Amino acid sequence: MTDVIDRAGHEGSGAGDRLAPLWVLIVAPEPLAASIAEEVARGLTDIAEVVCADDAAAACVQVSAHPDRIVPLVLMTASQAFPGLADSIDTRIATLDTQAVLRRASILLLTDQALHDDLSLSVDRDRLHAVIRIPGSPGVLAWHARAQAVRWLSAHRPSDPRTRALVATDGRPVAQPESDLLRLLELDTQEVATQLLAGIERVLGPRPRLLLPAGTRLIHEGVDVDAVLVVLRGRVALDHASADGDLRLHHDSTGSVVGLLSLAQQQRAFFTARATTEVEVVHLSFEQLDRALAVDASLGAAMAAVSIRALAKRLRRADQLQVEKTQLNHVLERERRQLSDALHQLEQARLELVEQARYATLGEMAAGIAHELNNPVAAMLRATTYVGEDLERVLASHPQGRLATEIFTAERERAPRSTREERAARRRLQAALGDVGLAQRLFDAGIEDPDRARALAADPPSLDLAEAVAGIGSAVRNLEVASRRMCELVTSLRAYARPKGDPVAGVDLHAGLEDTLRLMAHRLRDVEIERSYGDLPPIRCHPGELEQLWTNLLVNALDALGDDPDELRRVALITDAPDTGHVRVQIRDNGRGIDPDILPRVFEPRFTTKQGAVRYGLGLGLAIARRIVDAHGGAIELISRPGCTRVTVTLPVAGPPDDEDIET
Amino acid sequence: MKLALLILEDERPVREALRRDLAAFARHVRIEEAEDVPTALEVIEEIDAAGDRLALVMADHRLPGTSGVDFLIGLAADDRAFATRKVLVTGQADQDDTIRAINEAGLDRYVAKPWQADALRDLVREQLTEFVLAAGVDPLPHLAVLDAERALSIVRERGDL
Repeated sequence: MTDVIDRAGHEGSGAGDRLAPLWVLIVAPEPLAASIAEEVARGLTDIAEVVCADDAAAACVQVSAHPDRIVPLVLMTASQAFPGLADSIDTRIATLDTQAVLRRASILLLTDQALHDDLSLSVDRDRLHAVIRIPGSPGVLAWHARAQAVRWLSAHRPSDPRTRALVATDGRPVAQPESDLLRLLELDTQEVATQLLAGIERVLGPRPRLLLPAGTRLIHEGVDVDAVLVVLRGRVALDHASADGDLRLHHDSTGSVVGLLSLAQQQRAFFTARATTEVEVVHLSFEQLDRALAVDASLGAAMAAVSIRALAKRLRRADQLQVEKTQLNHVLERERRQLSDALHQLEQARLELVEQARYATLGEMAAGIAHELNNPVAAMLRATTYVGEDLERVLASHPQGRLATEIFTAERERAPRSTREERAARRRLQAALGDVGLAQRLFDAGIEDPDRARALAADPPSLDLAEAVAGIGSAVRNLEVASRRMCELVTSLRAYARPKGDPVAGVDLHAGLEDTLRLMAHRLRDVEIERSYGDLPPIRCHPGELEQLWTNLLVNALDALGDDPDELRRVALITDAPDTGHVRVQIRDNGRGIDPDILPRVFEPRFTTKQGAVRYGLGLGLAIARRIVDAHGGAIELISRPGCTRVTVTLPVAGPPDDEDIET
Repeated sequence: MKLALLILEDERPVREALRRDLAAFARHVRIEEAEDVPTALEVIEEIDAAGDRLALVMADHRLPGTSGVDFLIGLAADDRAFATRKVLVTGQADQDDTIRAINEAGLDRYVAKPWQADALRDLVREQLTEFVLAAGVDPLPHLAVLDAERALSIVRERGDL
């Protein structure tokens, strides 16, 4: 149905062809063609010239030989010039349609056959305008051809003077339809209603006009209809009650006689008819209407016309509603999908927010714990010192004070030794003394010199004192070590929460890196450090913060490298300036890489124990690193695969933004 | 022959605290310390060479390069550590590690840090007693560090010692 021929809007290209000759083409074998032409010509003498062709191909030849001709009509017979050729009607019309001028023409099929199954395509493509049985009554063909030609002219050449002579000003053919019904259908609705009412009044006498205000219900939904109302003036809406309230189904499409359809079906009203303006109506009961129709049969046509007009109008409205509904459904479906997408995105956003809130809470908690721990830890560290000082004072007044102080101080300040070295020292003492238990006691008291050991062993009260002060000494040392370590953890937690101080300008980034490497030397013993330093401008930054950053990143690299002494452990430090405004530091390691599952989360603050090993800063290392980089207005990126993990830090030379809000 | 107790712990303050809390055993039990697994293996070798018996290992879980659980699993297959009691002294072993220690190393006890000194000594005494019974060692020379009542009742029951 895509190639329905457009027969409208082809009115020729200019004033020059306005009076171009009109042809009506007869496609039929002789002598049939001649008799048809003669009859058709009788109807069309004042309009067009009648031309004959044997078949469709000949018609095309004729038309193309006279390109100035306009062809409103083609009359084609079903019978052919050569009975041996059995071209279908479809094929022949398709042949005609090869000519543009014929594609616009109306086609009248003249047939003597009772049944056709060879014109489906033509019907489908809207190329068949009338099927006429021949032979027919004399004059019918002439009349038919004329009516079709006039209709074609009014549609295609409305401004042609020949059309104006044949067609009324409103576009209808001048000739009126012969039937009452079709004649009435050409009138407008109100006029038909008026004519119907006039007819009824002829039979029943004058009907009283009823004047009703807006809002008056004329018909009640669900109530039997036993009368119609002819609306002479004003507007009426038809409403239907539904679960969602009254639906206004018709307003413009109400029609001029209300109640007719319900009356026709003898059933309860489907609508409530309600005046929306003041209305003037005539009330006709079922009996009055019946009587009028019985007395004047011609009123039936008016009645039918009114009904058809009302039906057609409402049907069109219904069709239109159906189209609107379908479009609305599409729109709704689209909106539903958009809503669904939006909902999904909202849910994602919510989850992210929850995550962020969780980590923010964790950060706050870390800062809170750090704050709370800070004072007790500081107090502990101080108290440990005081214990040492006070003990020294106590011992000063003790008869064995010198010895005790010496042992206490030695034990308190004893440098770490490996358990292997300690074991060897203890065995030496055992060998010298020959008494394992005694040697152990003396060794625990920090006495390793055999002569001194023997002297102490011979003096039990002194040995007891030595053991006691050595115990205090190691306890004080351990207290100091433990509280210092807690201080470091607290500092690390606080570092996560907040940097301090103003940025410093003119900082040499390489110097900071080297400082960090020096401070970490003990952890980097077995690691090969490769430096590849570029020329960097001095930058503005928080130098202490950056050292913390390099420390955390190096620790992260060391964690990835693991502790396997057989493997070559390598960390590369690469620096360069990608543009004049930025410096870049890359730290690469050849370790096992980061588990892809946790890679997206490495910068999130978290407490972690992995394989029983607590990572630096309670797992806040990389989170702190990111916080520091963020605070400097820089960027940090981590790429990892087994054998190569690379962290890239880019920092602005200008340093942290001036309006930096130090709180995180 | 002496009973030996091995403390495997990488942090000196913790090691010293353990040793001090167990000082009461030092007169009768050979107490050895190791800060890492290679040292621990050396110690075990020495104990074995001296003809002493490794009765009890108290291992931290978090160790440089390895974990206490892995060390204990390795120890379970070591002839020199036949019937040796295994105790994990840790603050950081998670559930998976602990399940592994129980199933694969035959872990006997789990001591969470920080510990109570009295409870720790009771535990060591109980574990040494278990070792003596399981290993078929004559408990009489070691009564000072054992649950004497229990050890003696077993001696009477067996009647062969």
